[in-house]
Amino acid sequence: MASVLTPGQRGPAVAGGLIALFLIFFLAVPMVQVVVVAFQDPNTGALTLINFVDFFRTSLFQESFINSFYVAAMSVVLSSFFALPLAYFTTRFNFGGALLIQTLGIIPLIMPPFVGAVAMALLFGTNGSVNLLLDEWFGFTIPFMEGLNGVIFVESIHYFPFILINLSAALNNIDRAMEESAQNLGASGTRLFRRIVFPLAMPGYVAGAALVFIKVFDDLGTPLLLNINNMLAPQAYLRITSIGISDPMGYVISVILVAFSLLSLWVSLLALRGKDYATVQKGGGGLVRRDLRNWEKNGCYAVVILILLLVLSPHLGLLLLSFGTIWSFSVLPDGYTIGHYVTVFSEASGYITNTLLYAGLAALFDVIIGTGIAYVVWRTGLPGRKWLDYGATAALAVPGVVIGIGYLRTYHGFNVPIVDQPLASWWVIIVVALTIRRLPYALRACVAALQQVSVTLEEAAENLGATKGRSVWRIVVPLMSGGILAGFVTSFATASVELSATLMLVAVDSDAPLAYGIYEFMQSAAGRGPGAALGVIGVVFVGLGTYISHRIIERGRVTRESTAIVAEGAFA
Amino acid sequence: MKNILFATLVAMSLALAPFQAQAAKGTLTIVTSYPKDTTGTFKAAFEKKYPNVKVEMLKKKTTAGIKYLQETAGNNTADMFWASAPDAFEVLKGDDLLIKYQVKVKGIPEKVGAFPINDPDGYYKGFAASGYGIMWNTRYLKAKKLPAPAEWSDLKNPVYHGHVGMSAPSRSGTTHLTVETLLQGEGWEKGWAEWKAIAGNFKTVTERSFGVPDGVNSGQFGVGIVIDFFGLSSQASGFPVEYRYPTVTTLVPANIALVKNGPNPEAAGAFIEFLLSPEGQELLLDPKIRRLPVNPATYAKAPADFPNPFKDSSIGSAVKFDLALSKGRYNVVNSLFDVMITYRLDDLRDATKAIHDAEAAMAGKPNDKAADLIAQAKALINQVPVDAATASKKEFNAIFKKKRKKAATKVEGRQAEIEQEWDTMVKDNYARAKSLAEQAKSIL
Amino acid sequence: MTSTDTTAAGVDIENLNVSFGDTHVLKGANLSIEPGEFFAFLGPSGSGKSTLLRAIAGFGPTPTGRILIGGEEVAHLPPWKRNVGMVFQSYALWPHMTVRRNVAFGLEERKLPKREIARRVDISLEMVGLVDLAERRPAQLSGGQQQRIALARTLVVEPRVLLLDEPLSNLDANLRIQMRRELRELQQKLQLTTIFVTHDQEEANTTSDRMAVLNDGIIQQVGTPMELYDNPANLFVATFLGTANVLTGVVEDTDNGAQFGSSNCAPIPLDTEERGPRSLVFRPQNIAIAPANAPVASDRVRIDGTVSHTEFLGSIIRYGVSVGADTALVDDQHRRGAPVFAIGDEVSLFLQQDQITMLKD
Repeated sequence: MASVLTPGQRGPAVAGGLIALFLIFFLAVPMVQVVVVAFQDPNTGALTLINFVDFFRTSLFQESFINSFYVAAMSVVLSSFFALPLAYFTTRFNFGGALLIQTLGIIPLIMPPFVGAVAMALLFGTNGSVNLLLDEWFGFTIPFMEGLNGVIFVESIHYFPFILINLSAALNNIDRAMEESAQNLGASGTRLFRRIVFPLAMPGYVAGAALVFIKVFDDLGTPLLLNINNMLAPQAYLRITSIGISDPMGYVISVILVAFSLLSLWVSLLALRGKDYATVQKGGGGLVRRDLRNWEKNGCYAVVILILLLVLSPHLGLLLLSFGTIWSFSVLPDGYTIGHYVTVFSEASGYITNTLLYAGLAALFDVIIGTGIAYVVWRTGLPGRKWLDYGATAALAVPGVVIGIGYLRTYHGFNVPIVDQPLASWWVIIVVALTIRRLPYALRACVAALQQVSVTLEEAAENLGATKGRSVWRIVVPLMSGGILAGFVTSFATASVELSATLMLVAVDSDAPLAYGIYEFMQSAAGRGPGAALGVIGVVFVGLGTYISHRIIERGRVTRESTAIVAEGAFA
Repeated sequence: MKNILFATLVAMSLALAPFQAQAAKGTLTIVTSYPKDTTGTFKAAFEKKYPNVKVEMLKKKTTAGIKYLQETAGNNTADMFWASAPDAFEVLKGDDLLIKYQVKVKGIPEKVGAFPINDPDGYYKGFAASGYGIMWNTRYLKAKKLPAPAEWSDLKNPVYHGHVGMSAPSRSGTTHLTVETLLQGEGWEKGWAEWKAIAGNFKTVTERSFGVPDGVNSGQFGVGIVIDFFGLSSQASGFPVEYRYPTVTTLVPANIALVKNGPNPEAAGAFIEFLLSPEGQELLLDPKIRRLPVNPATYAKAPADFPNPFKDSSIGSAVKFDLALSKGRYNVVNSLFDVMITYRLDDLRDATKAIHDAEAAMAGKPNDKAADLIAQAKALINQVPVDAATASKKEFNAIFKKKRKKAATKVEGRQAEIEQEWDTMVKDNYARAKSLAEQAKSIL
Repeated sequence: MTSTDTTAAGVDIENLNVSFGDTHVLKGANLSIEPGEFFAFLGPSGSGKSTLLRAIAGFGPTPTGRILIGGEEVAHLPPWKRNVGMVFQSYALWPHMTVRRNVAFGLEERKLPKREIARRVDISLEMVGLVDLAERRPAQLSGGQQQRIALARTLVVEPRVLLLDEPLSNLDANLRIQMRRELRELQQKLQLTTIFVTHDQEEANTTSDRMAVLNDGIIQQVGTPMELYDNPANLFVATFLGTANVLTGVVEDTDNGAQFGSSNCAPIPLDTEERGPRSLVFRPQNIAIAPANAPVASDRVRIDGTVSHTEFLGSIIRYGVSVGADTALVDDQHRRGAPVFAIGDEVSLFLQQDQITMLKD
């Protein structure tokens, strides 16, 4: 194998090998440890596919499958309704506060577990604020949160930022000349949008939509909290975690979830193949931002504010909950207090520092590994390199609870030297779980960033005597910094509210992160306020981080853009 | 440069790393399903009494706690398991994950209500009692003009349709006890009929047991079937809710046990002794904890309105709870409840609504044909796919367990297969019941 | 930096093959470039000239065959161990570094003392006349300035060979002419072996000592610019270097000696020993144009045709003359008052036998 490598490929080959080992040990092996049950005869333990036959024969599972599919598809539709106007207005028009809108639009991704759902229920539930008001004023209520529609509603609010982020990026990358030449040939208005702008932004949209579809399809938290059982993910979870019952169907469903998610990823990649226009274009500064007439501007603002109000309502509810005394069957809390924050800071500051540490380290590892994978896949001809990408992306489709149980099963018997305790109950395992779970996000950001760094910049460094490693370190990484930062923030933000894997892995209370702390508070009636306060603190931390990094990226874009303009002449 | 950076990073992360006691003598790790209010109070009091011991409370939902102990058994780091449901302890006992402990403290009786306080085999000990009951949101009931319920049978009343919440027995050990209590009290067929009549009024079956008080507290539904301390502590936290014990209820001890091969058995023993000592028992009276002490003497210090099961014979003595019977059909009951109620709640609710409507239409104008149709509909709903004898059969139960003790136990069929058969029957019955009730209404 | 610092090294390419997957882009190249020579790779896009250059620098797929620089086999060395300087078409200046940091990069990688780096960077920036811009970022420079910085950045490390990948293609016409002169002067001063990739034959002609014409992954011909122009080895070279008229036919024996026959025109008697299918290649400026049926001298060949178009280019008039189905281009010196042919005029074209290149393919 080494003989076919060129001298320049040895470093990347070592890095790729290490990453592959990491993925094998912390993704593949634990997952196989868990899902192998799916392939065993429950009575004899022999390998069999009978469980899958059972799955497809069981009407409850058939229904669950259809429900999951329906919810995921409809969530993509509803998310698009939220994301399209925000993305389009902020990239296409001169719009005050575009940066703020973009940042606020990402906040919904950071929905702390449990408290987010409680806040939603208090606002939109059968007897939530909105319905209480509707009932009082008009004598009717709207079942926002009932049944599958409730799941669609909550999921769309939660995950639409994936479409917003990807679509905005795609719109920003459209070469100005593309639009201008279309105008020059007589296209304008909606025709221009339909025939030029939208097709060019399509890859971004599809990438975001695929992400939404997969996340919703796999999501466990929302259906569970709305007590919807007849979907696949909750069925898997309920069957895996029930007392005493060790029904293999839970694992069968997990396997089917993973397989179906990979299938959707693959389909979306197929749909995108040969359509990644970003690399064909020069990324010249995005669309021309048009000035809006006054009435247009007001209209746009109205739409934007309405959408933001809707998608940020869980967080508004959370804020109210954290300051409210008692909030029960009423439009607003009975009174307000800062007591919950006092409780949190005096009792629970450990959760916050742990979260910053875990999510920070996980995000750091994610961007390091993500950059490594991106480099190996896109800049080397190493055999099998694509599998690193597939492997890391597959983590997207593995339910957190499967990872959690897999780690316990695989690594509890392994004592870490020096600290002398089982790897599965050492706090580092939580970081590893978060790293694996958030790697797909960071990876996509790193790949996008790498694709924008011209390969000749790296060759120039090598030509001047810098080794592969040195040129990556001095040239490629600094030029990728904007995208790496974006990946870091996405990983960090979502890792800081992750619960499903950590719930299984926290071995001592003093190691617990924020999401776990919220979970703990939310197990008692008196803990709802402090839980919400903890949630608000988490959101504020992550939101600030996101905003700051947006600023940094935006600044980086300005310098890069001026380069791009010069380079434009260069490539003419 | 890179090396320095990396070293700094490692140093930083080590400096920030959470404090690790590294299983040194003096750390006591307890896996528990109890809320922070309970664990925090006991931790503080215990650490005050034993300053050299540091208590680590590892919060896991009961089901997750079992899974955790099972998965980590090979290299155990937990000392104790502390939770409510005796069934959870039975599962752990069955998996040989607990060790026996001999309590030194005196003054704890054999039984509370009809239920023995301690495991007859000596593995787990009761430290407090809990009873199941009904909690409701007063604002909700007032707004919807509903009466406050008193008995389980009240919840069958059509006025409560869509207003009741409960957790599933497969999700919550204490819920399982409630379900089992009614099944034992009323008998297999009638007990299930009662449950289905109540479940027909369900708004939801929550995934977590705390989901029920949470839903009542926030007003998502008005009435919840909950364990007493959920209701009492919600009330104590200021929510507009009330709680009561119905006549037919059971008092069950909340338990604690030593985990096999725990790293610190001395501290674990000390913790049990502390829990059962008068000062430990007294902590249970704290309004945020609100559990019934198992030491009768402690009630002398309780507030006036505090229920005392040792004096008030109405609490928890109506049913003789047969633990062996419960254990013998544990998984079958859970699975049946999920198949008949949790997963088919919509169908059951629709059918129940149709029957309510038909009965309302029939009120005041008797009609034999309609009454017959309604009776048929009810019978369809009440049909249980498995009879009591089968439910307790060892071979049948084995289908629902992964681990089988003896290879000789003959197992036929797979859980998924059986559940599919049940589901087909249940779904079909509910649909037919609905159409029969609608037919009854149409002829009135 | 002085010329004595640089030891000029020759470059030898032996049977070099490069493939991108299934696409064979460089097919068995053999080449020998002398130390201190200014050598051009000339060819259309896709001809493999950049691939060959990049292979010398160590970029692209692993080639088979040998590359020797100064007699040392380098094919197995990574790019950073070859010490060949390359200036990229896009200049590849690092946007996140100042001009000074860009130029200092190679010296920093060689771990030179800081003061030595500063000194050499200054000399290098002076050489390209941009000392004043040292603290700017690449984005703040014009195209020409960027190119000089790219050159300074490469030369400061004193490479054994300088590789230039279409370095002038991004400059406007005036600057391009100026820069190519400067490049040539610099190369002469440094006596640095330089390989220059271009698709522009004028650039290649004016700068290089020798050049190789590439097409379809194959080196077609190597020689001085004039050799190649006057004696192209094949039709591709003939037509790629300047304008050429091509007549295709067969040289046969007749009673009057050799005669070139083509379906497009009357037979042309030729003074040659060769026989068989041949193409006749001749340049427009070597043809004299006269009214039809003008007498023909013995050392000349006459071709009859009809004027099909004319272009007045100032110093010359370019006629298109239909010869059968072919069109020959004829450049006629223009003098004030001289008679001009009109479209449709019958004309005779004369050219000397020694101005005709006869090609086999």
